[in-house]
Amino acid sequence: METSTQVPEIQNQWIIRLTNFWRTFSKNRIGIVGLAMLIVIVFMAIFAPVIAPYDSSSSASEIGDVYNPPSSSHWFGTDDAGQDVFSNFVFGARVSLIVGFFAAFISIIIGGLLGLVAGFFGGRMENFIMRFTDIMLVIPDLPLMVVVVALTKPSLLNIIFVIGLLGWTTTARVVRSQTLAVKSRKFVLRARAVGAGKGHIISRHILPLVTPILVVQAVLVVSLAILNESALSFLGLGDPTALSWGQMLNYAFGRGAMSIGAWWALLFPGFGIVWVVLGLTLLGQGLEQILNPRLDTHHLMPGRPVIQGKMGMALEKIIEKIIEKSPLLEVRNLSINYINEGKPPARAVENISFTLKEGELIGLVGESGCGKTTLMLALLRLLPSAGQIVNGQVLFNGKNLTALNEQEINAVRWKDISIVFQGAMNALNPVRTVGDQIAEAIIKHMPGFARDQRLQERVIELLDLVGIAADHKEHFPHQYSGGMRQRAMIAMALACNPQIIIADEPTTALDVMIQAQILELLDSLRKKLGLAIIFVTHDLGVVAEICDKVLVMYGGVTAEYADVDIIYNESRHPYTQELLKAFPDLTKPKKKLSSIPGYPPRLDALPAGCRFAPRCPLAFERCHTEQPLLHKLNDSQSADHIASCHLLEASK
Amino acid sequence: MNRTRNLLKKIGWALFTILFVIILNFFLFRVLPGDPARAGIRDPRLKKEAIEMLRIRFGLDKPVINCFESLNPIELGSCTVNPLDTQFFIYIRNLLQGELGVSYHTNRPVTDILTERLWNTVLLIGAGQILSILIGVIFGVFAAWKARTTIDHAAVITSLFAWSLPTFWLGIILLFWGSSQGLPLAGKATPGASSLPLLQQWGDIIRHMFLPTLTYTIIYMAEYTLIMRSSLMDVLSEDYILTAKAKGLSTFQILKDHALKNAMLPLVTVIAINLGFTVAGAIQIEAVFSWPGLGGAIFEAVGRRDFPVLQGAFLLIAVAVIFANLIADLTYNYLDPRVQTE
Repeated sequence: METSTQVPEIQNQWIIRLTNFWRTFSKNRIGIVGLAMLIVIVFMAIFAPVIAPYDSSSSASEIGDVYNPPSSSHWFGTDDAGQDVFSNFVFGARVSLIVGFFAAFISIIIGGLLGLVAGFFGGRMENFIMRFTDIMLVIPDLPLMVVVVALTKPSLLNIIFVIGLLGWTTTARVVRSQTLAVKSRKFVLRARAVGAGKGHIISRHILPLVTPILVVQAVLVVSLAILNESALSFLGLGDPTALSWGQMLNYAFGRGAMSIGAWWALLFPGFGIVWVVLGLTLLGQGLEQILNPRLDTHHLMPGRPVIQGKMGMALEKIIEKIIEKSPLLEVRNLSINYINEGKPPARAVENISFTLKEGELIGLVGESGCGKTTLMLALLRLLPSAGQIVNGQVLFNGKNLTALNEQEINAVRWKDISIVFQGAMNALNPVRTVGDQIAEAIIKHMPGFARDQRLQERVIELLDLVGIAADHKEHFPHQYSGGMRQRAMIAMALACNPQIIIADEPTTALDVMIQAQILELLDSLRKKLGLAIIFVTHDLGVVAEICDKVLVMYGGVTAEYADVDIIYNESRHPYTQELLKAFPDLTKPKKKLSSIPGYPPRLDALPAGCRFAPRCPLAFERCHTEQPLLHKLNDSQSADHIASCHLLEASK
Repeated sequence: MNRTRNLLKKIGWALFTILFVIILNFFLFRVLPGDPARAGIRDPRLKKEAIEMLRIRFGLDKPVINCFESLNPIELGSCTVNPLDTQFFIYIRNLLQGELGVSYHTNRPVTDILTERLWNTVLLIGAGQILSILIGVIFGVFAAWKARTTIDHAAVITSLFAWSLPTFWLGIILLFWGSSQGLPLAGKATPGASSLPLLQQWGDIIRHMFLPTLTYTIIYMAEYTLIMRSSLMDVLSEDYILTAKAKGLSTFQILKDHALKNAMLPLVTVIAINLGFTVAGAIQIEAVFSWPGLGGAIFEAVGRRDFPVLQGAFLLIAVAVIFANLIADLTYNYLDPRVQTE
């Protein structure tokens, strides 16, 4: 719809959009509460003459009625002139709302127009407008409003204009940046390329995408305008003839309500302001949440408890004793779910097993979205808060990592198993020097190293190991090149002499030369330091070069697991075979490359049978209904060659 | 080299903004219907000669600027006037000499009135800012750290509520509460307190400051809580926090060593932009608690239509806010290594 320059039946589209919007909005509790609060007050303002028990201008019949406390005839008491506070409160809603809405209207028009012009036309116009906006933003607004209103006649109209004319700055900024963002979108560029007029582009393409943000902004501007009006009125600059809530407070405060203790005259008008402003604020928050949905999760949120497998902990201990020499790392039947409130859990990783010996390098291969990273994070229990280990064990030197508490796992992290993350730009803290970040790991895990010369020497030694000069120690990550950052990340991973390094696509986003350097580095370090490495990648070429074993993952499950030679020469799973076809092989230059049509399955919509079935060239009926089991292939040359495919049942 | 240029550019920009404010100030007080002379003329107690004296004293008998007798566009004046003999030039000259005119009400120089009051406002805003930033940051950190828990929801809802309170009204409510607690309700010191020993004098001032500062803190704490929360939420979802976690650092270490500084950086900008709004809060608070600061001066000047004081106070506040902005801007550059080395 957005790709075409013609938008048919705009009205219809708006209706659809609005109904869709309402469906989302009605689920937003904060927004709904805010809207309800506003409806109440707007209703009160509209029907003020019906609701108010006394006429707005009627004063007390007897002198003694001044500052009477709340009673059955005057619910909110009476004020300094003997007027009914409740009636004034009801009529006051009119004044406050009128000022708020009209002033905000002026601000939104000015700010919206300036922002749109600045964002759309750019150049000198933009420069001038934004400079002017910056100046106006710095000038404190309330003092300026006070000065201007004090100099002019304090009438309602003047107040509306002054607040409106001074309240547009943030709107202009917000609209400008949104216009800039929309302007460079593909469909707008396309519309311009085919020669659509500026007016057409603005009204058809830019306005629809700027309007939602403008609405959120408008809600906030109205609330600010109401607060400003009340402040001006309280300071004695209100229209004496229009009794707004601020004006009521000004009269009560200035005419002895405090000393008499007439709390009602001071409390209720303020409640009105708080009610409207809070309603607007909540509505604004709700709209903002819909417009910019945030996941509201982060890495420090507590993870979900591990669900231990069927094997009890007691039995586990016995097994450990039986297996005298356990491998360095053994992953057994590991399954991980992502918990989505209100939806069935997404089975991101299911029943993965592999082993890793000292000095070994295992390649973990699969397309993006196959659960590789999830699996790696789960090994050190670093899953985001929605992720949960629902079955299986991670045995490191016979110790079950999934059963450790937070402190125990912290001792294992980085000391025994460290990680080289993909995209080292974001994996290093931008405001701390690289050397400092390496030293931090040493201080944490190697108590022998005090913060002395030896620590610095160790950092230099580590940087040297990855080929970074010592004087770069004091530099910040942004001063490094991409390849250097990745090497620094590796130096950091080596800091505590770990036994295993998990390298999560360490070479993606780097150019080919640097990629080769990093691979060589990892391989040489493995040989020099006897490291075991888990290498996550989607690059089969890399795997062939350096790996001992390969685990091919598809859609969260094991497709095939075997020694690297077997995978390359005798792969049995159709997915592995298709993957190999998609990679160039220098030994067979005439080979035709082919890609696998389609995409890996979405975790929330996994196929009922084999997860690869929808894309598998060899799929038959059973594949679509029944999930294949893992088969250990005894006829293979490899000791443990495992694959999951119905076709392999016979070769078991 | 680049850094110095950047610095000079920022200072130049601040000076330009001040110039803009000065010119705006001049024209505002002449183009709008309530110009100083007319305000004086309106006072029925003044005789004609006295008004003429006033006009001469404030230079209002001179043309506004070359070619314009007044700022009424129909009423063009002579262009051959000596530019040094216009209201605009006199205004600039007086400003440069630190002279802001004489109060209509007390006949004292505005500069004197404002300088003695400026420090009271600085005291109030300073104390309020420090407290609200401190508390806001702590609340914000807890809310972000415990995101989506009851602590978080409570912090957010409370902040939204506090943000919605009109400052002066919260002051009034606290005034009611304070009067029941026997706290001093108005002014900066008990009459006669100046004869007390210094320590007791300050104790007296702090007691007087309690309610205004509390009002200020509640209002602005809310905003800092919300900003700190969202800023820290952003930082905590960054990859480098995952790295820190993978390093085996404890939650406390991650917050202290990896998250806080990064999350505080945007706050510095917000504090700067907020200074303008902060002044608005201070005016209202000073009006409620009769605090003898600039805000109080503005409140009184509004009631008496004492324009020279109003004009001077606006100018002083605007210049102060611009400078505070500049300082915050430079601090940000100093704190963020990414800007430093660019």
